[in-house]
Amino acid sequence: MLSHFLLMVLYALIVSLFFTLLWRRERKEQIKLFLQVFLGMVGGGLLVAWLMYPFPSGPPAPIP
Amino acid sequence: MPQPPAVPERRGNAVVAVLSAWLVPGLGHFYLKRPLRGLAFFALVVASALIGCALEGNLYKVMAGQPLTMLATFASMGMGFLYFLLRYALHYQGNIMGAGYEYGTAFLLTAGLMNLLLVLDVWDIVRGKKE
Repeated sequence: MLSHFLLMVLYALIVSLFFTLLWRRERKEQIKLFLQVFLGMVGGGLLVAWLMYPFPSGPPAPIP
Repeated sequence: MPQPPAVPERRGNAVVAVLSAWLVPGLGHFYLKRPLRGLAFFALVVASALIGCALEGNLYKVMAGQPLTMLATFASMGMGFLYFLLRYALHYQGNIMGAGYEYGTAFLLTAGLMNLLLVLDVWDIVRGKKE
């Protein structure tokens, strides 16, 4: 459950379903928007992760 | 002969619709005779809030000297009765040491923000600006 990737996919799933239902009424348009938002979020997340890969993560920030 | 401008059709009491939409996610849509959408929205908002709690995320409250917590609290309170249930009845507290703290906070904030968008959607429907 605490896999970063799974949580990201779950988050993208909930948000994309929400906006699909909020903004579209016809089934075909719903599927199109769902795929756009879902794949955009997951793909965008992976792209940002890939871009950040060369940077060292460093020690965790101290807890105030 | 020129036609008078069309008056937007009203579909219910705006105050009741907006208040019910905020208080219980999806109830505003249910009130406006869109039960399936209301049910789906309820499931999505509650799922987001429950996942946030399972991950021990932060349910924001206003903290002295930190004005940005006011915005975050407003966003969290957007989830309606769930916020008050978690904070005052279940005494929910996030766990900053928890592995899922940041994700959980994002899920909890998202639940509130989604419900605020639902309130605006209900407002548009009741004013006749949206189907």
